[in-house]
Amino acid sequence: MTQTIKIDHLARVEGHGGITVNLEGNAVKEVRFDIYEGARLIEALVVGRSWEDVPQIVSRICAICSAAHNLTAIKAIEDAFGVQVTPQTRALRDLLYRGESIESHALHVFLLAAPDYLGYPSAIALAADKPEAVKLGLRLKKLGNTIQEVIGGRAVHPVNSVVGGFGATPTFEQLFALRRDLQQGLSDCEAMVEVLATLPPADFCHTPTVFAALDTAGDYGYYEGNTLRLTTGKSLAASKYRKLTNEMAVPHSHAKHSHYDHKPFMVGSLARVMLFGEKLTEKAQAAARKLGLTLPSDNPMDNNKAQAVELLFDVEYALETVEGMLREKVKPETPVEIKPKAGTGTAATEAPRGTLFHSYTFDKQGKVTAADVITPTAQNLACCEYHFRAAVDQDPEKNPAVLAKHLEMIARAYDPCISCSVHLVVSR
Amino acid sequence: MNKPKVGIIGLTGCSGDQLVILNCEDQLLDLVGAIDIRDFLTATSANDTESRLDVAFVEGSVVSQKDEDLLRRVRERCTILVALGTCAVWGGIPTMDRDQDRPALLRAVYGDLNWEYDTCPAKALHEVVKVDLNLPGCPIEKDQFLATVANLLNGNLPLLPDYAVCTECKMKENNCLLIEKKQVCLGPVSVAGCQARCPSLNIPCVGCRGPCTDANLKSAAATYAENGVAMEDVIRKMKTFAPVPVSEQP
Repeated sequence: MTQTIKIDHLARVEGHGGITVNLEGNAVKEVRFDIYEGARLIEALVVGRSWEDVPQIVSRICAICSAAHNLTAIKAIEDAFGVQVTPQTRALRDLLYRGESIESHALHVFLLAAPDYLGYPSAIALAADKPEAVKLGLRLKKLGNTIQEVIGGRAVHPVNSVVGGFGATPTFEQLFALRRDLQQGLSDCEAMVEVLATLPPADFCHTPTVFAALDTAGDYGYYEGNTLRLTTGKSLAASKYRKLTNEMAVPHSHAKHSHYDHKPFMVGSLARVMLFGEKLTEKAQAAARKLGLTLPSDNPMDNNKAQAVELLFDVEYALETVEGMLREKVKPETPVEIKPKAGTGTAATEAPRGTLFHSYTFDKQGKVTAADVITPTAQNLACCEYHFRAAVDQDPEKNPAVLAKHLEMIARAYDPCISCSVHLVVSR
Repeated sequence: MNKPKVGIIGLTGCSGDQLVILNCEDQLLDLVGAIDIRDFLTATSANDTESRLDVAFVEGSVVSQKDEDLLRRVRERCTILVALGTCAVWGGIPTMDRDQDRPALLRAVYGDLNWEYDTCPAKALHEVVKVDLNLPGCPIEKDQFLATVANLLNGNLPLLPDYAVCTECKMKENNCLLIEKKQVCLGPVSVAGCQARCPSLNIPCVGCRGPCTDANLKSAAATYAENGVAMEDVIRKMKTFAPVPVSEQP
């Protein structure tokens, strides 16, 4: 007997996608993560444009990850032109990136993922019964946005971050107000851990998984560094990213998929915590224990817990950064001068959903001749299908309604950003 | 009084305008109390995709038959259709394909497609259906969205600025990036409403809100020329966010 489980429109994710699973008897025949997002051709459209226009254009690939796209393009352009920025610029970029991560994780954990655990269709419905929990999530989300507004000039599609530095430096008064918000944020994070620790477990998909993340060299972070690490023990230079993200046409799916050593891999919060969790503060590690996040993880649903741990860590880290800036007084700086030259620049960073690659080739006037963007969601699709398959295989009863709910929860745990992913995924 | 039935619908885009709605953290719970949100796939899995809507907010541009079909269905079921954001109002970033060979662009990004792929040149909503209200911005401004909802609740249409970004920039007493620094700033030809966000941070305006239909184009052209800014740079930059018709180019 054949049976199809089909979710036409995946709700509470960014962009348009669906899930299809075909069963024959109890055996899984086909698993597909379908992508319905239209093609905007952004990489082709930046060809011929000046380097100056690129970070603003590519930020429009995705709103939730707009700071990540903007800053990763900037890192790639600076790599191509050999630009060195000031320590203050580096610190402000780190803060902007963390602001985005705080916003993105709070949105995902509270508004998109949590309703599933408690059996609600949305956070709006959840708010009717548990207003305090939703308000807590909204406060943390707002904190991330406030950081992005203060540093990036806008919460969605930052404008202040440019190649070479920032248009304007945040003022002492702005940073002082931000410090107060971060202090409130830290106690909100503690409350968050208490709330999330009460959620029922999500134990329906356990399977050995390979994880990959950028080694940000110093502290646990998202922006610096050029070496990729895998939980298999292998490493490779970011400039060789194509070896990791090699798009493989797989027979069971419409999409080209990323595999490394013939295995799908997962990127994102859980991958980062798996690879670099020992760099987290004691407080963040205690939160992980309280949430029942045990490593090594074999459960993709743990990504939700890892996001909560990162959220707490980032608020702690951002507070320390801002206090340092207040002590040492930020000084007004202008972006360093840029001298375009012919060549290719490549950058990897850790976007909220995982490793993001941007690569651009320029002519000697600094006009783009080739552009390539590979997003976390595109890399994750193969692994997500691998986890769909495992969840269906492991379910003894194969009740279609229960399976559909589990598949949706797994997809959502990946926090897929489908607007981002369409670069290399085309639906039939 | 019955709460107005509202849909928040995304075509192809970055979801930035829907994100701005979710970013109204302080007002969100009041907002969902004041209106009856029937269809909001980005935020909820309980959606009613059939019933009449008093207001539909539609984000994104039309780049596929699927988008076009959805937009026509939304038009049929709603009373007031609001184009949410620059992609919906003007076509946005995807319309940079206007003067280019789209099949070649598709091949450049996706390689050779061996199957029928649902794609068409990017269009704004008004090129497909009648639009009742335009709310530009990439993304939209929070306060303008909230003011729009408040006005609609009271049976009015909101008053949105139709003057240029320069007007807001002067009100903020910023130094002029075009005249003093000879930078390609689109302030004179772009519609206001952002409180001159970019020039206030020493960043020239990129025109993300689209062209200002009330701009003094002759005077803008003269100012660009006087400051040694090439008109082709201005037009190229304007066409990043909107396929600006010749009648609206300086």
